[in-house]
Amino acid sequence: MAARRALKAVLVDLSGTLHVEDSAVPGAQEALKRLRSAPVTIRFVTNTTKECKRDLLERLTKLGFDIAENEIFTSLTAARNLLEQKQVRPLLLVDEKALPDFTGVATEDPNAVVIGLAPEHFHYEMMNKAFRLILDGAPLIAIHKARYFKKKNGLALGPGPFVTGLEYATDTKATVVGKPEKTFFLEALRGTSCAPEEAVMIGDDCRDDVGGAQDAGMRGILVRTGKYRPGDEDKINPAPYLTCESFPEAVEHILDHML
Amino acid sequence: MAAQDGGAKMAAWARGVRGLLLDISGVLYDSGGGGGGAPIAGSAEAVRKIKASGLKLRFCTNETQATREKFVKKLQGLGFDISVAEVTAPAPAACRLLKERGLRPHLLVHDDLIPEFAEIDKTNPNCVVVGDAAENFSYANVNEAFRVLIGLEKPVLISLGRGRYYKETDGLKLDVGAYMKALEYACDVEAEVVGKPAKAFFESALAEMGVPPQQAIMIGDDIVNDVGGAQQCGMRAVQVRTGKYSKRRETEPSRQLSAVTAERQEDSGRSGTRGTVCSVPRPGCLREKPGHRLQKATWLPCCQASFRRQCGRSVLCAEIAGPAFQASADSAARARTRYGAGMLGRRFLSANRNYWDRGKKS
Repeated sequence: MAARRALKAVLVDLSGTLHVEDSAVPGAQEALKRLRSAPVTIRFVTNTTKECKRDLLERLTKLGFDIAENEIFTSLTAARNLLEQKQVRPLLLVDEKALPDFTGVATEDPNAVVIGLAPEHFHYEMMNKAFRLILDGAPLIAIHKARYFKKKNGLALGPGPFVTGLEYATDTKATVVGKPEKTFFLEALRGTSCAPEEAVMIGDDCRDDVGGAQDAGMRGILVRTGKYRPGDEDKINPAPYLTCESFPEAVEHILDHML
Repeated sequence: MAAQDGGAKMAAWARGVRGLLLDISGVLYDSGGGGGGAPIAGSAEAVRKIKASGLKLRFCTNETQATREKFVKKLQGLGFDISVAEVTAPAPAACRLLKERGLRPHLLVHDDLIPEFAEIDKTNPNCVVVGDAAENFSYANVNEAFRVLIGLEKPVLISLGRGRYYKETDGLKLDVGAYMKALEYACDVEAEVVGKPAKAFFESALAEMGVPPQQAIMIGDDIVNDVGGAQQCGMRAVQVRTGKYSKRRETEPSRQLSAVTAERQEDSGRSGTRGTVCSVPRPGCLREKPGHRLQKATWLPCCQASFRRQCGRSVLCAEIAGPAFQASADSAARARTRYGAGMLGRRFLSANRNYWDRGKKS
């Protein structure tokens, strides 16, 4: 086996890894402090489509985590980067609370469509508007293609089905920017000037966090908190580089074995 | 040979044709708007001509925004000679299927279609039926259908058609197919399609008309659901350039595209090139010459415009021009520039044939 390059960057998932809803994973704050003592760049990555960076930061600071705004990379950021790269003006079908992450992006006379989790926009009229734009050549950018998610009163459709419907109707393919797409992880690492082989991802979602990261060339550590279910580690191939109890244990392993 | 009352000759390629299946939306009229829709110029007259000619006629529609009674009444109001008995539509076909298999549906359909399911038990649903629900495609409604489907041990999703979109007077709108795909993706199931382009649907329309597929022609605006689906059954099909037809795939704007093949995948990279006369067409094709079948699609010149035909399928790619069409090159050229006009009928088709016979090559 080829010698591994030294670890230079750590990507940390938020929901389910550092915190679960409104309470922090026990010991996570101290673990983060210890990780900062190491010579690694840290990035906090999440697939959220409903919270802008400021809201995320506020929530994490309240829970006692020491995080800077520029260390947070969300799928919204990835979408914004793509819009700037393609120089297009989007029709934003995203949650209102996500709009602050798109300030400065022109939206008049749209020639692109961005879809996030925004049930209030998924009605017939708005879907037709998006459909006509895409049929005329506008690129379709999906924050992610989650099929559904769990709400208090049952399951609810995610953006995935609606993106699929539009892909079918327009005979095009959406560009998906969130986890587990490779581009998401590569974008997250862009600001760190580290190669994927020099980075590790810590997350609770085996397919989206660990699987996606490993497909991008990184190593993945699966933690048994959040949405983890026993047996998840067998669901991806190759298996996670490491499966451990929680974020603090993952940090221990990194400090002891990976630097 | 069909009975000839009109006195006009049948085009050579159409010999042996005894019946026509007509799509409605996009062929006879465009839906939407205040009055329920607008007829496409010349279409009502063409329908009368077909009926007067002795050819059998059946309307084969995927319309699911209203009951057949309501729909036919609307068309009669727009001047069409049509009755409920002449219409093959998905909802009644779906009802037969539901009864056969003991299925109790959760309906995600247009309000005006619900009466078609009046006799069906809808309590404690064990399947989902999705139609062209239009404004009923709210997030809440689609979500509810999803919850029913995902909660079933054996999810059954029945879709009334799989069209991608259709044209209304105020623009293109998403059709049932998009929402069928959405539910398929969400629940990881495959829908069963009742309606075009399902073979069973065309076959039942042909049976109701009493004409075998080889003696029938389908006329439609949807290359996949009308033309493609009909040809899969062994019928010939005509693509009209009204309704949802789009010249999107034309790469030479100066040349009027007058034909589209059933195999859309083959379109890419081949549209707009000038062709040479097909010298070995298959019998029954536009240019009947003794010979063997072509192995692949070939460009053929016609009426000063090139069109594309795929041998082996007997796709009849004819341009449907407006009422101003005269059997003269100039008029035909003028008529060709007018999209949106439509006139069906043997007169046009046989007149068109004159061009081919004159050997006008482009």
